[in-house]
Amino acid sequence: MSKKFKITICSGTACYVLGGAQLMMLEDLMPAEFRDQVEIVGSACLQACRQGGSGQPPFVKINDYLMESASIAKIVDYLRKH
Amino acid sequence: MEFPKITNNCCVEVDFRQKNCGRQRTGGDVFLSRKLKEQQRVISVLSDGLGSGIKAGVLATLTSVMGLNYMSSFRDPAKAARSIMDTLPVCSERHISYSTFSLVDVDFENEVKIVEYDNPPVLVARGSEIIRLERSQVQVTRADREPVAISVADFQARPGDRIIMLSDGVSQSGIGSQSLPFGWGIEKTGNFIREQIEKKADISACELAAAVVDKAWVNNGGHALDDITCGVIYFRQPRQLLIMTGPPYDQKKDRLLADLVGNFPGRKIICGGTTANIVARETGREVHVMLGKIDPDLPPDSVMDGVDLITEGILTVGRVARYLEDRRNPETLNLNPATKIVRMLLNSDIINFVVGTRVNEFHQDPNMPVELEIRRNVIKKIAALLENQYLKETSIQYI
Repeated sequence: MSKKFKITICSGTACYVLGGAQLMMLEDLMPAEFRDQVEIVGSACLQACRQGGSGQPPFVKINDYLMESASIAKIVDYLRKH
Repeated sequence: MEFPKITNNCCVEVDFRQKNCGRQRTGGDVFLSRKLKEQQRVISVLSDGLGSGIKAGVLATLTSVMGLNYMSSFRDPAKAARSIMDTLPVCSERHISYSTFSLVDVDFENEVKIVEYDNPPVLVARGSEIIRLERSQVQVTRADREPVAISVADFQARPGDRIIMLSDGVSQSGIGSQSLPFGWGIEKTGNFIREQIEKKADISACELAAAVVDKAWVNNGGHALDDITCGVIYFRQPRQLLIMTGPPYDQKKDRLLADLVGNFPGRKIICGGTTANIVARETGREVHVMLGKIDPDLPPDSVMDGVDLITEGILTVGRVARYLEDRRNPETLNLNPATKIVRMLLNSDIINFVVGTRVNEFHQDPNMPVELEIRRNVIKKIAALLENQYLKETSIQYI
């Protein structure tokens, strides 16, 4: 069965230095209620910083939604709302 | 795009490992190597200064630098030896000036000249067999009028040969212990080297040197009673490595990157998320980031079919430059993407860099950390270090 959310974390240079490093621990810090619902993968680079107007790194993709200035709190918040 | 042709089907790999005596921070043994690019010669010296620590370090450094310089300019071993002995400062306690050395000079046709003074004999392994060298003695008068003998040997090296230089910290390791009352000795050391080569026929210079030094350390029960040094010169088929970093300036050349990966006869590394994505797109493969094992300072590496290693770009290569500059032993560092690259660099002979010159504008944001240097500069620095400190052949091409 496929999971409800697929979270893709960008590990490109810009994302990594602007806070993406913390996101690498997302899997460990994910609240128990969501553990079964999310699949976490990495991306060598989502290319979001190259497209103008996408916002600030770090970027994370949750299914098709591109989140800018992502943080663990912001991701969990998003999961709660959806 | 073409890489420089390999002119020599046999290349020379030189590396060494060392442990300092006791808790001395300075080694009393010095191993130096120099490549004379124009003459295609490689000269290596292992010198062991009297005693240990700073004083020994000074003696050994003087000896090895002089040895290198003399051999580079004159190639006359007896003259070099005499000058060295006349120059060394005299020890205030023992009233002698003393530093032993082994000098190995390899020319462009793999003709080897070996000069030795009081060090354990240099070993030559042909395949896994230790071969005997014909040595002749040259008399030299030391500054204190004491005549001493220097041994000189020549031979023609073949692909697969290894020359092993040892300090007496290796041959005398374990001395006085129950299992090795007279020390490890040159014969048993030779047997150990043979076993290592039998176990792994293509063992690299640094791996073999590390194995010998570690074994000597174990012989002593986990101590270095004297400085322990082993240098290895290995004649072998050149191993090639391709490092690709950065997207091409002109997008039309994206396809070229993929072709290079496909056709390159050696190992391949891609440094940079965008670069990896380009290759993946052009070849229809997928990049998978390894989120499991994370180093706190560096973005994780990824895997893709047909490429040996994929890492993030500028942070990782910056770290590689730092490791190389500090001469860190990659085997003792935490395994992270940068140490993986360093290991592959040191286990290669010819390293080809393909550097894309397109700039990610986001990296120019003043909010970004200053470590984000210009890719071209970092690669140039890495290539220079590899050439000068690690005696590798390199090429850089911009795309």
